[in-house]
Amino acid sequence: MRAAGLSASPAGSLAPAGAAALVPVPAPFPAAAADDRIASRRAPRRVRPASAYYHRYHIATAATPDLRPLPHRFLVQVNKFRLARLLLTELFRYWGRWDVVLNRPCIYGVFSGPVGGFSPRAERCVGCLRCTIQHPDVVRILPNPALRRLGDDYCTPRQVETIFYEASKGSVPVKGQGYRGRFGGAGWDGMWTDMSEIVRPTRDGIHGRELISTVVDIGARSTHLQLAEDGSLAAPPPRTFTLQMPLLFDLLPDSLLAAARKGSAGSRLHDLAAIWARAAAELETLAVLPLATLRRCGLAGPQLAPLIGPGEIGDDLAELAADAASAPQMVELAGWEPDAFAALARLLPETVVAVRLPFAAGWRGRLLDAFAAGARTFHLEADYHGRGEAGGFVLDLLIEANRALVEAGVRDQATLLGSGGIVAAEHVPKAIIAGLDAVALDTAALLALQCRPLGRFASRATARVEVPSGMTVGWGTQRLKNLCAAWRDQLLEVMGAMGLREVRRLRGELGRAMFQHDLEAEAFGEIAGWSDPGGHRAEHGLHD
Amino acid sequence: MTDPTARGASPELIGKVTHYLHQGFSALAHGRRELPPALGDARWTPELILATWYMAETGQVPTGGLEYRVGRSGGGFDRLDFELLPEPAANTSAMAAEDTSIALNRRGSGAEITIPVPFYGGGMSYGSVSEQVMLARAIAAARWSTYMCTGEGGYPEALVPYKDNIITQVATGLFGVEERTIQYAPIVEFKYAQGAKPGLGGHLLGDKSTTAVAKMRGSVPWVSLFSPFPFHSVYSVEDHKKHVDWIKTINPRALISVKVSTPADVDMVAVGSYYAGAHILHLDGAYGGTGAAPEIAKKNIAMPIELAVPKVHKHLVKEGIRDRVTLMASGGIRTAWDIAKIIALGADGAVLATTELVALGCTRCSNCERGRGCTFGLTTTDPELKEWLQPEWGAARLDNLFRAIQGELRAILRRLGLRSVRDLRGRTDLLRYRPAETGEVA
Repeated sequence: MRAAGLSASPAGSLAPAGAAALVPVPAPFPAAAADDRIASRRAPRRVRPASAYYHRYHIATAATPDLRPLPHRFLVQVNKFRLARLLLTELFRYWGRWDVVLNRPCIYGVFSGPVGGFSPRAERCVGCLRCTIQHPDVVRILPNPALRRLGDDYCTPRQVETIFYEASKGSVPVKGQGYRGRFGGAGWDGMWTDMSEIVRPTRDGIHGRELISTVVDIGARSTHLQLAEDGSLAAPPPRTFTLQMPLLFDLLPDSLLAAARKGSAGSRLHDLAAIWARAAAELETLAVLPLATLRRCGLAGPQLAPLIGPGEIGDDLAELAADAASAPQMVELAGWEPDAFAALARLLPETVVAVRLPFAAGWRGRLLDAFAAGARTFHLEADYHGRGEAGGFVLDLLIEANRALVEAGVRDQATLLGSGGIVAAEHVPKAIIAGLDAVALDTAALLALQCRPLGRFASRATARVEVPSGMTVGWGTQRLKNLCAAWRDQLLEVMGAMGLREVRRLRGELGRAMFQHDLEAEAFGEIAGWSDPGGHRAEHGLHD
Repeated sequence: MTDPTARGASPELIGKVTHYLHQGFSALAHGRRELPPALGDARWTPELILATWYMAETGQVPTGGLEYRVGRSGGGFDRLDFELLPEPAANTSAMAAEDTSIALNRRGSGAEITIPVPFYGGGMSYGSVSEQVMLARAIAAARWSTYMCTGEGGYPEALVPYKDNIITQVATGLFGVEERTIQYAPIVEFKYAQGAKPGLGGHLLGDKSTTAVAKMRGSVPWVSLFSPFPFHSVYSVEDHKKHVDWIKTINPRALISVKVSTPADVDMVAVGSYYAGAHILHLDGAYGGTGAAPEIAKKNIAMPIELAVPKVHKHLVKEGIRDRVTLMASGGIRTAWDIAKIIALGADGAVLATTELVALGCTRCSNCERGRGCTFGLTTTDPELKEWLQPEWGAARLDNLFRAIQGELRAILRRLGLRSVRDLRGRTDLLRYRPAETGEVA
C-alpha cells in the first residue's frame, strides 16, 4: 500500500487513503500509518506528546514469566559425604585464606544457599559443568528428563523451550558457541536462507535492519487500473488491507471449541478468544475464530476474522458489517463452495473474503477454481505437524501452491495465508520464501500460552490441550505480543542478512533459499555412496 | 560503574582452581571418570570433547576407543569417510614424514609464507575472549610457525612479541585497527562476515566491555559495541579493492586474507575477492562460531562449510585461478579428520577456533554471553575468572593439540597413499559417503 494516495489524519500523521477507508484503527492505537516508515511531514507548532502525531510500528514487550515454570534444565547430584570431606580438607589446607576457602566452582549460585552444596539450587544451573569437571567425585550434572517430555514427535522440547523463552521475554534467543544440532534433515531443516556479503537493506541505521518493512497486503490486487471513458475508475478498487507484520493468529483446536459448546470450560474459551482478539488488536493483525465462537463470546472488531461455514450464511451476516468501526476486515469461508463464496461476497462487499483450503486431496484444483470464481485470498491449512495431501510436508505444498498461481499468471493478484507445522521463528521466513504472504500461528501461539498438549498434537481436529490455570487475558495477550516481537525481530535478522528491505519482496523468492538436496548433489554428487533422493529444484520444476 | 579490575584472584586461589580444573580435564580425558551425562551435543559429542582434551594433554590421539574423528550430526563431515588403504605393511618409520605444509601466497609476488601444518587459528577478539587466551594462542602459533588471528577487538600489548605469527583482523567496526597493528601483521584479514551469524554483524555486550576492553577499542566502558554489517564503505568488488590497496599502502609486505561467509553465490564472491587482490580466501561456514549469536542465525542462514568448499573449489578451477589463491575453510571443523575431509573437498587448509577453545577447557555450554562470562576463564573479561587460564599452560595444551592433529593427518595421508597434504586437495575420489548409523540423526 505504500504507493497508495496519502491523506492527512486528524492528528497530522499520514495514512494510506485506501487503508484508512477500509480499516478502522483498532484501539488503543492512534491513527496509525500503515507504512511503518511514514512519519509526520511537518513538526507541529505547539508542544504535544509525540504519540499524538507520530506512530511507528513497535511491539511493546514486557517480561511475562511462565505460569508453569519449565522443568530445570539440569539435575544436580551431590555426594554429601564427599562434599563434607572436601570442605574439611580445604578448610585445613587454606586456613586463614578465606577467599580461597570460600571460593566455589559455580558462579551462577547453585551452591549459594544457606547450606551450600548440601542443598544445591538446581534451578540456577546453566550446565557449564565446571563443578563436575573440578570435582567429578562430588558432583554430577544430568540433563533433566522432564524437559525431554515437552512437545511431541513433531515439536521438539527445544522448540517448546524456545517458544516459552520468546513469550516470556519478547527477545531473540542468543547463545554462544555455534550450532549444536543435526546437519540438516527433512522439511524446514533441509533449507537454508541466503545472505549477502555486501548488500544492506538500506544505508540507514547501524545495520540497515532498523527500517526493514514487515508490512504485508491482504486481499486482492489489480495488475492495472480500469478506467471509464470519463477517466473515472470503471470498477471499484480491490478489497485490500494491510497488516504490520506477516503474522496472525489461527483457529483454536476443535476440542476447546467443542468443550465450550457442551458448557464446560466455557470460561477458558472466553479467555482464549479474548486473548486472541486483544493481541490481534494491539499487534494490528488478525485473529481467526469461528463465527459462532465470536458471537458466543460477544467479540467483534476489525481485528477478528470470523470463520464462516457454508451453512451459516444468511442475510443476518450483513449485520457484521453494519457498524463500520467493528466490521471485520476479513472473513474466512470454510472450504471451497462457489455459491457460498458468492453469497458471502455479496453480503459483505467491503470485506475480504478468504477461502480456507486444507491441503487435502484435490486442493490444487480447488485453489484454481476458487481463483477463477473471484476468490483472491486463500488460507492454506496443513495439520499441526505440517502434513497435507498424501503425507506431503507443508514446505513442499506451499511451494507447489505458489507455483500453481505463478504458472497461471495470477500470483500477484492473490494473497496466500498459511498455517500448520510452523513452530519456530525460522519457519516464518522459510514459509514466506516458499510462497506465503503471511503465516497464521496455531500451535506456537498455544504453546506461548503454556497450553499443555495432552497426547499427540497432530491436528486441529484431534488435538487436546490443557489451558494453564491462572491464565488471564492480560498475561496471555502480553505473551502473544512477546512471541510476535521475538519472531518479527528474527524475521528482520534474516532479511537483513539478505539485504532485503521489505518482506513483500521475500514472498516466493526461492532463489533466496538453498536446499540440502541440491547443495549436496553439487558438493557430494561425485562421492561414492552419495545418492540423490530427488532434489527440490528438479522436484519443483526449477532450473538454473 | 566502577572498574573491578582491582579485584583479581590471589595466587593461592588461582592455584587451587587451576589444580582442580587440570586434574578434572585429565581424569575425564583418560576415562578415569564416566562421560559427563550433560556434556556435548550432536556436533561436539562428549567423546569428541574428551578426545580433544586427551590430545591437548598428551599430544596423541586417544587409543582406548574414545571416538575422536566424527560427531553424530548425521550429515556433512559426520557422514563422510575416506577410502583408506589397509594398514601400511611397510616399515614407515624409515620413510620421510608426510608433508603437511601449505603455502599461503600463490600469487607469485610478495612474501612467500608457508605454514608447516594446514591450519591456523581463527579470529576471536579481545573482549570476546580474555587476553590470556589470546596469549596462549599466540605462543602456540609461534612455536608452530603458524598463525592466530586477533579478531576485531584490538591488539593487546602482550601480543606484540608474537606479532610475526599474528593476523590482524580488519572488520566492519574497525575496532582496534591502527596503523601500528596493520604494520605488525604478516597477514591482514578483512572480515566481511562470519559463519556464526552471517550477515548480522557483531555485538559485544556492555557487560563484557570493561575499561580495558573499551580502551583497546577506543570506546566508552560498559557500553554495548556493534560491528555493523557489512562494511559501510564496500558495495562492490571495486570498493573492496580500494580497502586492499589501503592496507597495502600501510604494509606492502602483508598478505591479504578475505573472510566471507557462505551465501548461494559464494563462488562468485571468491572470484571477486581474488581479483581484488586477496591471497587467501577464508570461507567461514554456517555451523561454526565461538561468540554469542542469535540462535536463528546459526542453523538457518548460509550453508555449511562442507557444501560451500566444493562449490568454490570447482568454480576457481573453472576460472583458471585455483592455483593462484589459497582457500582456507572454517566453521565447524573440529578434528584432524575434518581437516583432511575439507581439504579433500577442495580447500587448502582449515582455520580452527572452537577446537582450540575446547582444548583449553571449553565444555561448549553456550553461556559465553551470560553474566560474568565463561566460568572456565575463556570467553570472559572478568578479572577473576580470566585467571583460570594461564597462558603457558594454555600454549602447552595447544602445542599438544597441534602435534596430535599433525600426527593424525600424517596417518591419514599414509593410509591414502599420499606424500603431501597438498596432494589431497580436491580428491573427492578418496572420499565415500557412508549410510547413517543406528542412533545417528539422519
